[in-house]
Amino acid sequence: MSTDTRIAAPYEADAVFSPEASSLGTLTIEEDLALQSGERLMTLNMGPQHPSTHGVLRVVLKLDGELIVDCDPVIGYLHRGTEKLGEHHRYAQVIPWTDRTDYVAAPMNNLGCVLAFEKLCGVEAPERAQYWRVIMSELARIASHLVWLGTHALDIGALSMSLYCFRERELILDLFEAFCGARLTTNMMEIGGFSRPIPENMPGMVRDFLHVFPERQQEYADLLSANPIWMSRTKGVGVIPADVAINYSLTGACLRGSGVNYDIRKAMPYLVYDRLDFEVPLGAHGDTYDRYLVRMEEMRQTISIIGQALDQCERMDTELMAWDSEYVIPPHKGTMTTAEDMQRHFIWIIKGISPPVGEAYVAVEHPKGELGYYVVSDGSPLPYRFRIRSPDFVNLASLPYMANGSMLADVVALIGTIDIVLGSVDR
Amino acid sequence: MSLQPTEPDKAHAERDTPEVQQAAEAEEAAEVAAESPDAAVASAPVSDVEGLKEAMLDDGQEWSRARWFHDDIEMHPALYVLRSAFPDAIVDAVRFRDETTIHVARERWREICLYLKEHPRVRLNFLSDLTAVDMLRLRQNPRFDVVAQLYSLPNRVRVRLKAGVNDGEPIPSLVPIWNGANWLERECYDMFGIVFEGHPNLKRMLLPDDWAEGHPLRKDYPLRGWSEFPVLNTERPVGRVRTRWTGRGAS
Repeated sequence: MSTDTRIAAPYEADAVFSPEASSLGTLTIEEDLALQSGERLMTLNMGPQHPSTHGVLRVVLKLDGELIVDCDPVIGYLHRGTEKLGEHHRYAQVIPWTDRTDYVAAPMNNLGCVLAFEKLCGVEAPERAQYWRVIMSELARIASHLVWLGTHALDIGALSMSLYCFRERELILDLFEAFCGARLTTNMMEIGGFSRPIPENMPGMVRDFLHVFPERQQEYADLLSANPIWMSRTKGVGVIPADVAINYSLTGACLRGSGVNYDIRKAMPYLVYDRLDFEVPLGAHGDTYDRYLVRMEEMRQTISIIGQALDQCERMDTELMAWDSEYVIPPHKGTMTTAEDMQRHFIWIIKGISPPVGEAYVAVEHPKGELGYYVVSDGSPLPYRFRIRSPDFVNLASLPYMANGSMLADVVALIGTIDIVLGSVDR
Repeated sequence: MSLQPTEPDKAHAERDTPEVQQAAEAEEAAEVAAESPDAAVASAPVSDVEGLKEAMLDDGQEWSRARWFHDDIEMHPALYVLRSAFPDAIVDAVRFRDETTIHVARERWREICLYLKEHPRVRLNFLSDLTAVDMLRLRQNPRFDVVAQLYSLPNRVRVRLKAGVNDGEPIPSLVPIWNGANWLERECYDMFGIVFEGHPNLKRMLLPDDWAEGHPLRKDYPLRGWSEFPVLNTERPVGRVRTRWTGRGAS
C-alpha cells in the first residue's frame, strides 16, 4: 500500500476504532500504521528517560515527517506533593522543602519562601542580612544559568560547554559550602535573617570568584555567540512575540527575550535591590538566540550586583538576625546564657511560630522567572495553604506554542531555552 | 563624546513593543502625578472620600501610585471601577500587609477578569498565578476559594482576586483571556477537583490520568493518601485552631 492511496481513501471511522482490528499481531505492519490514522501522522513519545528532556519530562509529539503537528508535554513524574507537605509542617520546617523544588538554585527558593513568611509575620531582616541574601541568591542565579548554558549547549551539540560550565559551577557550590555547609540543598535562610555568623573569609572568597568568572564567561561567549552552528540552531527558533509571551504568563528570560521589560527586582524591588545599579537586558526577536543573549547578559549584570553588594556591606558590623520575641529564633549566645532566651528558643523549636490570620503572596526574580509563594495562615503553627508558583511550570506551558510547526530536532533546543528543572515543574 | 545617539539606544527604540511603550508612558505619568499637587489629594484624610472619588473619575489623568495603597480600600482603583461596573458581584475587599484581595461572585469571574484586563487605567494584564484554597475548616460555605494573582505591567501593582466555589459548582475558565491559565487551571482541577467551565482540555496535570483517589490538596485528603498506608489519627502533629476567617490579621 503506498502512502498516496492512504491519503486519497481514508479508512472509515468504525474500522479505525475497532478494538479487534487494532489488536497486535493480527495485522501486518502496513495495515496497522494505516489504521492509526487516515492522515500521515506519526506519534512519537519523547521521554521521560530521554537525556535531552532535563529530567523526567515526557513530550508526546505528532509528526508529519519531521514537522511537528501537535505537541503535548506530560509532567508529574517527579511530583512529591511539596504543597501538601508544607501544610503538615511548621513554618520553619517548610523552608528545607523548598530546596528540593528547584535544586539548581536552592538559595533563591529559600529566599522567596522566607520573604513570604516574614511578610506574613510582619518581620524584616536587618540590613546586613539583606545584603548577604542578595549576594547568595545572585550567586545561585549564576549557578542556575551555568547549568542551563551547559545542558542547553550539550543538547544542541556543543559538548564541551557542559564541562566548562560545570567547572565554574563547582566554584559557586564551594562558596555555598563555605557559607552554610551544604552544596545543593542549602537551607541557608531563616525567618528573620541568618542565625549563624558569616565566615570571616567569605567576602574574600566571593571576590576571588568575581575576579575569575567574567573572563571565563567571555570564553563561553567566544565559543558560542558567533558560532555558525549555534546560530543556525537557535536563531528564528521558538519565536514568541511580546503579546503572546504576556498572554502565556511567561516570566524571566522567556518574557524579556521578547522585549517585555518585567524584572521583579526593578518593577517591585525587594531586599536592597533599589540601592544597586544594574540593567535589565531585553531581547529583540523573542527567539532562542535572544534568550541566550539575555541570560548571558544577566550573568554579567549579576557579577556587578554582587560586587556592589559586597562593597556596601563589607564594612558593616551589625547583627544578622532580626529581634522579634514571637516570630524569630533568639540569638545563639542569648540562648546559652539567659533564661528568657532559652525559654523562647524552646518554645520556638517545640511549638513553632503562629503568624497572624491572613495571607501573603511574595514573588522574587528567580533565574527562571517569577517564583511566587502564596501562604495562607489560620493562626496555627502550620501553614493553612502553601502554594509555590514555580516559573518553569508556567513557562513550560508555552512549549506547544513554540513547537507546533517547527522541526523535530528543534524540540530539544526549545526545552533547553525554556530552562526547566523538573523538580520545580512538578514540585 | 559624540552627540550621535549610541547604537544600543537605537536598538532599544526599535524593539520597544507598544506594551513596553505604554508601560514607560504610564510610569512617567505616575511619576509626574506623584510630584504634582494631585499627590496631596491622594494622601488627604479619609473624611474627604467623596471628593476624592469624583477626582478619580474625572481628572482624566493616570492615577498616582499612592492611590493603589491608600488607607481607605475603597480608593483602590481596581475595587473602585468594579464597584461601578459590577455592583452586585463584589462580595468583600480585604487589605492585609499592603496586599489587596477582592472577593467576587463566581458567576461573573471571567467578565471581571476581562474588565480589569481591558480597563484603560487599571490594566491588570498579567496573570501571575491561579490556584485555590480549601477553606473546609475555616468556614461553612462556600468551600473553596479560587485565587488569581493579577499583576499590572504598566502600573506595577498586584491585586488578588478570589471567588468562592462549592464542591461541584463550575467556575468560568480564564483560558479565553489568558492562555497561561490553561495549565494553572488544570493543576487546580487536579489538586482540588474544581471544574473550570469552558476549559479546552480539563484533565489531570501532575497526577496520572487514571488516579482514582480523589484530589490531594483537599483538606479531608490524608497526607499519605487513602490506599497505600492506613490513615492514622496521629498524623497531624498540631491540632487546627478553629478561627473565624477574616484575612485581616486578627482571629
